[in-house]
Amino acid sequence: MKKDLNTIARGKDYWRSLDELADSPEFRKFVESEFPEEAGELSSGLSRRKFLSVMGASLAFAGLSSCRRPVEKIVPYVKAPAEGLPGEKLFYATAHTHGLSAQGQVVESHVGRPTKIEGSTRHDLVNGKSNTRMQASVLNLYDPDRSSEIIHDGAVSWIEAFVEKYSEIHKASLENGGQDLALIMPSFASPSLNRQLQLFRDSFPAARIAAWDPVSDENVHRGIELAAGKKMLLHTDLSKAKVILGLDSDFLHSDGEDLYNAAGYAQGRRVRSENDPMSRYYAVESAYSISASNADHRLRMKSSEIPLFTLKLAHTLNHKGRGLLLPEMPADAYFTPAQEKWISVLAEDLENNRGECLILAGRNQSPELHALVYALNELLGNSGRTVRYYDAEDTVFPDTDALKSLAADLDAGNIQTLILFDSNPAYWAPADLKMSSRMKKAGTLIHFSAYLDESSPYADWHIPAAHYLESWGDARALDGQRLIVQPLIAPLFNGSSALSFLHLLATAELKSDFELLQEGWKELLPADTFDKDWMKLLSDGVYSATAYSHHALPARQAEIKRRFAEHVAEKRDANGLEVNFRPHSSLFDGRHANNGWLQELPDPISKIAWDNPAWISAATAEKYGVENGDMVAVSLNGATVDIPVWIVPGHADGCVTLHLGFGRWFEGRIAKGTGFNVYTLRSSDKPYTDFGAGIMKLRSKHAMANTQDHGSMEGRPLIREASLEEYRNNPEFAPDMVKHPPLKSLWEEHPYDEGYQWGMVIDLNACIGCNACTIACQSENNIPVVGREMVEKGREMHWIRLDRYFSGDIDDPQVAYQPLGCQHCENAPCEQVCPVAATSHDEEGLNVMTYNRCIGTRYCANNCPYKVRRFNFYNFTKDTPETLKMAMNPEVSVRFRGVMEKCTFCTQRINNAKIQAKNEGRGLKDGDVQTACQQSCPTHAISFGNILDQKAEVTVLKGNNRNYAMLAELNIKPRNTYLAKLRNPHPALSAPKTGPAEHGKA
Amino acid sequence: MIGGAVATVGFFWYFGSPKFTDVGYRPAQPVEYSHKVHAGDLGIDCRYCHTQVERTAKAMVPPTQTCMNCHIIVKTDSPKMRPVNESWYSNQPIEWVKVHKVPDYAYFDHSAHISVGVGCETCHGNVAEMEEVMLVETLSMGWCLDCHNDPAPNLRPLSEVTNMAYVPGPEQKAFAEALIAEKNINPPINCSGCHR
Repeated sequence: MKKDLNTIARGKDYWRSLDELADSPEFRKFVESEFPEEAGELSSGLSRRKFLSVMGASLAFAGLSSCRRPVEKIVPYVKAPAEGLPGEKLFYATAHTHGLSAQGQVVESHVGRPTKIEGSTRHDLVNGKSNTRMQASVLNLYDPDRSSEIIHDGAVSWIEAFVEKYSEIHKASLENGGQDLALIMPSFASPSLNRQLQLFRDSFPAARIAAWDPVSDENVHRGIELAAGKKMLLHTDLSKAKVILGLDSDFLHSDGEDLYNAAGYAQGRRVRSENDPMSRYYAVESAYSISASNADHRLRMKSSEIPLFTLKLAHTLNHKGRGLLLPEMPADAYFTPAQEKWISVLAEDLENNRGECLILAGRNQSPELHALVYALNELLGNSGRTVRYYDAEDTVFPDTDALKSLAADLDAGNIQTLILFDSNPAYWAPADLKMSSRMKKAGTLIHFSAYLDESSPYADWHIPAAHYLESWGDARALDGQRLIVQPLIAPLFNGSSALSFLHLLATAELKSDFELLQEGWKELLPADTFDKDWMKLLSDGVYSATAYSHHALPARQAEIKRRFAEHVAEKRDANGLEVNFRPHSSLFDGRHANNGWLQELPDPISKIAWDNPAWISAATAEKYGVENGDMVAVSLNGATVDIPVWIVPGHADGCVTLHLGFGRWFEGRIAKGTGFNVYTLRSSDKPYTDFGAGIMKLRSKHAMANTQDHGSMEGRPLIREASLEEYRNNPEFAPDMVKHPPLKSLWEEHPYDEGYQWGMVIDLNACIGCNACTIACQSENNIPVVGREMVEKGREMHWIRLDRYFSGDIDDPQVAYQPLGCQHCENAPCEQVCPVAATSHDEEGLNVMTYNRCIGTRYCANNCPYKVRRFNFYNFTKDTPETLKMAMNPEVSVRFRGVMEKCTFCTQRINNAKIQAKNEGRGLKDGDVQTACQQSCPTHAISFGNILDQKAEVTVLKGNNRNYAMLAELNIKPRNTYLAKLRNPHPALSAPKTGPAEHGKA
Repeated sequence: MIGGAVATVGFFWYFGSPKFTDVGYRPAQPVEYSHKVHAGDLGIDCRYCHTQVERTAKAMVPPTQTCMNCHIIVKTDSPKMRPVNESWYSNQPIEWVKVHKVPDYAYFDHSAHISVGVGCETCHGNVAEMEEVMLVETLSMGWCLDCHNDPAPNLRPLSEVTNMAYVPGPEQKAFAEALIAEKNINPPINCSGCHR
């Protein structure tokens, strides 16, 4: 192994052969033939007896052939670095960007490889938490399908050749001001990137620059522009809101600053005693979103009807002659009596909480609605309190008009050089812009991207882009704090960072991103203390001194009234269905399509993984005569997509929801052919809600990996919930829900009264169903991705899963979530039946799994009443690509075939914390050990710690009157208990049915 | 018949145990490095090269740079130094053969042991007398548990951890009890202690 380990290995070194890179059939055969006992895979019909005999024979021969111990090498450095040696973990601060916002992160690195991402505790918008996208982004770094070479006209090239060729373009553009130069890039908020873009603009004043994202907050920005006169950033503070109204808004998961929103929202929902107040959340939407699944009251209506609803609400709020200028309600506007009551109760609730309420609208709603919401928030006194507007700096807003005019210019043949900077128009540009054919008209197409994606076949030059974990840079958080993006590893795949490439485009010179970044910061930080300040900046990752200023500009009511009146008067195609385009809960706009963790994560509402069926309501399904899994042809704007349907209880009638991000066709082993591409139906005028879709049932069906009924628990009262009022009348409702005789054990039980005793409490009021815990656990514990087929069979390997229960009316159900990992029962049913004692209980209360003893009887999984044990039916890590092996956490075993696994309460973290504390001569205090799920949960729903420590949070919560153990009547004494869920319905609106949740029909 | 069964069992009991198959493993290393010369005769402390043993889980085989600290001027022409010089000047690491190994699913932490007074010699033997490193203890789980169940005979004062010539005195029992109480020594005997 003649590698120089002093420098981090480049992407090239990890490929031993082209076959391995391409994963060609020859290579697969080569790998597979190493293990003759695996000759029978899924469908060989090899009987167990024969299999064992083959195994036995080969083992015997193996035993005789070589008794020598295999040689293992220790390969140290030649010159070792001072830190980061094997066995030592290092943490670096960096930032994750998402649209115009950024979240500070701290990344754990083992011997120069980043393995686990956590939120930064120094960034107050994040507060140490993270979401699924942040957690899963580490896998994107190691994606073996990333491009690793510069490609020019189909042949491998190198950067100097590109610079040489580009210098000619650069020179010509300098002369003509860049009039035939065009750049498409995503929107961003970054001081250093903005500096380079400014340089580009100064060099080429006539160049066309279009900043555009397939899913962005453009409508929000334009709404605020309409309302206040200029584009500002919307920042919501839910911790101060007592009444929340969400209009098609997924503010807890994918709209806006979801981490900060979730934390603030949870603060309002956190109830510790019957005297505590609780906020109330009303939601109005078409498709069931993760946020609205937590709502106390939910009204389902088509997205296009929401503006009228809001207008009615506005009129109701305006009744005391407040003087808000509003257009008249259209004559044909109709609301059912139930809806009218809803609106009046809602209006009253908002009125009673002036200055402490909040109205949010989703990014899919029109700018006019956002403007009206701006005015309503102002009317209710929320401006500056629960909602703030920031003057953005270093920000490039997304702009569809710029993209449209650029497309028109391309069509006219005016563009000689088109640069796709981290942009993929062939896949996600609006279909009416016909970007695929128009891109061919450009003379030279330069494609800068991490993958050879759908746009690269059109490119003359492809330059691989570095991942953010390989790049230097900076970003602005939503409130203006500056965050540093620091690399944890040198580019694995020969990528160039965004900063250095943009500089190259602007100046035709190669300069390192580190230098470019420091240049910008040298202008900000004083020169005499620069080195010290710079080190502190890298250590903190956050620089708060330059946060944005905010103002509450008065709403321009006349303008809003005029535009809104036009908006509700727009003629719409009443035939066919309304179509909602939504970002997918895990893949977002498709950027994560090749990320195995996110593809395998079941959508919290539909519980479907590896697919994006069209969501419809039960009534719509009946109307078209379709059932779950039926293929239909959806036609819109002249294009058709064949897609399966899925009935989602609570979906509005008369509309269909299509999720973006699937159906990609680039050479990504996970992404290619997974799901259905609905971008072909999307237009630039109506990117989120369109009208007049035709649905035609096709003959075929599509089997989907649906995890709804996996781990079914037969209708037992596993989620205990009540309304706030019921809780106040009967504080002990949670333990009282299940009556059982006094629990007596057959044998003498362990006292568990010494040392550390680990326990966990999950607050069901705080859990919003975001699944951050699932991905964090997957990242920390090397949980394999098993693929669609296995998920269909119920063999997904997630150690902590989110069970979603519907309850109530089938058309308007309520949703309850329950995160479920191993309950670490003191009288564990699994431990009692293991024939080889592979699972035992340790002195600290953990149910421990010893993988090497396990022989795969699966009796333990059979006996577990919670169904939290996962079995490795196949060797899921057999063909893990070399780079993905780098993503694994070296502190946790990688499990082989035939071995049972389950949540271990992050025993590696417990052990490490104990050893460290012991070495330092101290004991552990509350908070020293955090499980991966607990650390990432944005709403702080999970509490973990030593239950013998009376002051520990977990102990206090276990003493709470809402605390209950699932299936406690079995006397298995789980260490993992729950705080019952509370809902806060308004007494005037019919309280939804509460009590034990049952499975919905779907 | 019974004698045959006993003989067979006895055969595998001895020849199949790690005491036979593993102890005595003394592979040829790429460099003829003698611990006897360096740790024994020259008296260099274990921690000079194995720097991380008190801090982290892994003790660390030293980088070539550590050798060159002295050998940039000391015995540069010796034929035994040749692979080290090659490594240093060509910037390619030396590939040592691993002698002491626990399975991948068992996680051993050096610092936890050093910080409570388990000597290097207890597990690695008298390395200062070894020309070539040899495995002297089985490092099997049973062997680890023997000490974990009763650590007292294997504890020594922290200052003597790297002393290869240390012999426990007559007050070993009292000393060990005091140390166990002082440092709250409670070695894990449950699976979770090592199996992660």
